[in-house]
Amino acid sequence: MPVEVILPKVDMDMTHGTVAVWHVAPGDAVTKGTPLFDIETDKAAMEVEAPASGRLHAVTARPGDKVAVGTVVALIYAEGEVVVELATVIAAAPASPDPRDKPAAVPLAALAPVQFAAPATQETNGLLRATPAARAAARQAGVMLADVDGTGPQGRIQREDVAAYADRQSAPAHMPDSPAVWSAQPGPLHVSHRKGSGVPLVLLHGFTADSQSWAPLEKALGSDRRLIRIDLPGHGRSPRRKLRSFADLARMMVEAFDEATKAYDEVHVLGHSLGGALALAVADIRARNVAGLSLIAPAGLGPEIDATALTGIIRATRAESLAPWLRCLTARPEGISDEYSRAAMKLRRDPALRTFQAEMAEVLFPDGVQAFDLRPALSRLQCQTTLIWGRSDHILPWRQALNVSGDFALHLLRDAGHVPQIECPDRVARIVLRGMVAASTG
Amino acid sequence: MSTRKSEMNAMIQDQGLRTLSYAEAIREAMAMAMEADPTVILMGEDIGVYGGAFQVTLDLVDRFGTDRVMDTPISELGGAGVAVGAALTGLKPIFEFQFSDFAMLAMEQIVNQAAKLRYMLGGEASVPVVFRMPSGSGTGAAAQHSQSIEAWFGHVPGLKVLQPSTPEDAKGMLLAALADPDPVMIFEHKLLYKMKGHVPEGSYLTPIGKALVRRTGTDITIVAGSIMLHRALEAAEKLTADGISAEVIDLRSIRPIDHETIRASVRKTGRLMVVYEGVKAFGVGAEISAMVAESDAFDFLDAPILRLGAADAPVPYNPDLERASVPQVDTILTAARRLARREV
Repeated sequence: MPVEVILPKVDMDMTHGTVAVWHVAPGDAVTKGTPLFDIETDKAAMEVEAPASGRLHAVTARPGDKVAVGTVVALIYAEGEVVVELATVIAAAPASPDPRDKPAAVPLAALAPVQFAAPATQETNGLLRATPAARAAARQAGVMLADVDGTGPQGRIQREDVAAYADRQSAPAHMPDSPAVWSAQPGPLHVSHRKGSGVPLVLLHGFTADSQSWAPLEKALGSDRRLIRIDLPGHGRSPRRKLRSFADLARMMVEAFDEATKAYDEVHVLGHSLGGALALAVADIRARNVAGLSLIAPAGLGPEIDATALTGIIRATRAESLAPWLRCLTARPEGISDEYSRAAMKLRRDPALRTFQAEMAEVLFPDGVQAFDLRPALSRLQCQTTLIWGRSDHILPWRQALNVSGDFALHLLRDAGHVPQIECPDRVARIVLRGMVAASTG
Repeated sequence: MSTRKSEMNAMIQDQGLRTLSYAEAIREAMAMAMEADPTVILMGEDIGVYGGAFQVTLDLVDRFGTDRVMDTPISELGGAGVAVGAALTGLKPIFEFQFSDFAMLAMEQIVNQAAKLRYMLGGEASVPVVFRMPSGSGTGAAAQHSQSIEAWFGHVPGLKVLQPSTPEDAKGMLLAALADPDPVMIFEHKLLYKMKGHVPEGSYLTPIGKALVRRTGTDITIVAGSIMLHRALEAAEKLTADGISAEVIDLRSIRPIDHETIRASVRKTGRLMVVYEGVKAFGVGAEISAMVAESDAFDFLDAPILRLGAADAPVPYNPDLERASVPQVDTILTAARRLARREV
């Protein structure tokens, strides 16, 4: 049975992608894990790796073709396997709901029986092949092994692959952020800048997420705003640094914040969940530099947290076990597709990353409790502050916002869960922008 | 070996240094020790008038007499037993096995007595015996006379196991073994007996348990001992044509083993290959690779560890098969290239 190559969903809000270029010609041999083709979405360009080794056949999407997420764009046959035309494969798939579908437009669901026959071969059960030296180098450089292309035998990642990747990262432009738009800044944590006008908006993501998770909101905010994104330690592209307490984490964040914002007199800070707690801490410590604050479901306003979901996300080693917990993040579980879970799992493939985040959870949320309290900080704030909370947030209860005194606005969003910036980015963007206007005029 | 050996000899002659063969160096060490210390005696089969199976003792019986150069009957167990007993009661015997393979007959004395008595007597006594073990293949002597069984003894606490690769070390190790209060086994390679090299005059001790970097390099680490060192050095020389810089470590001591020299090299190169003449499985290479994998050097490994050892078969009599059954320069070269080029 050939392994199908699908157009992956790499952003939460992505529905289509354009095939930019194929790196392998039809009929040629491909090696699992090597670049197969590039896709362009509204926001980014990204390399898609071959899901299996074999020969490439039945390529249905040509460069420039815009295709729906989940579409089968080619098949990879094992060496020696009889090559069948794609149409035949689809006809043979018993679950195909509509036989009139053209091959190039078949949604993945139509190929479900075929699809689920293969996942074990696609990710080696979520394990990465890397040498000890490569792993040590990645730890040191704060590089996620899952991002690195291995050039060794069987795609093994070697020390030089990590070094090459780190070199590319330290260059001003990198994938998948559009190179013309985002530039990286060296420092204690990974910081990326987007040029634009006005007071910069600093984005602090939540626990187990990374800067890429802001993509839907960035789109909703418009392309002319100056943005600064900071990856938490051990998240995204930031190095793993030992933490003993929330105060430790806050100190690191303030250090990175100072470095990232030194060119500006004042900034607006937007934080989500743990990033919200950090935004509060930054605003508390650097009150003079923070003109306004937007907090989406901030942590630190009460002891309760859904530790089960948190642990589930951290522990998951495969898309199948990650998906149910990701679905706890949203108000409507169907918002999280299997492809999204697979893309999310790919970013979490490195066991060292999972271990680090588990240790971090143990420090920040011992016994499933938020062990740090930012209610005093929130009460003290002088700057314009807006809280945004989904009414269906299963992770942090919105009622915690009612337990704090302080002059902040609270927006409760119907039909939103713990990640409203992904579930309803346009609404969140409007609230954030209003807050920024209020901060500048107030 | 030829290129490197001739270069080495040319260098030695240039500097007017004295050269001896490996066998001569061992003989010189024995004679020096016997002159300096009346308790040093030689024992073994045919070591007297005949001069030893490989002519290592040669004329020592003429110089020291049959009281101190004793031919023993064809009973390794009996001979080794007398040597161990003599050592226990104040002498320093050097016992030569004609072939190290014959030590099988004396295992009781070596493993159960010599190695253990110091411990079982609460440190009240020790067994300062030296066993000389002519070993290795390449002489057409077939399965029972060509083995490399040094790793067997590496498994026995209480023994020290050495493998000199040069005439200089052959002398220095024998003197160090005699200076050691406990049983020491020296595995001498039969093919090295005629090898010539610089040997310092006078008395000196080669430190037991200390490996030596014979060639520095940056891309891969090759650990080898005895004759394999010379094959590894020759391969390393050829690797320079491929732009590969190999570091070659002379293991010298199997027990105790020098962990730090090997780890330091692995930290530098990230690639380790162990070459030894014993059967590959459960051998010296297994110990070294496990030791590296268990250490902090693990984080520096950038490729799987390679072991090159003898085939999983008794050493064949047929010369072509015999040659093919143990690592040669070509096999080391091929494996080292693959390791350095990231093909393994």
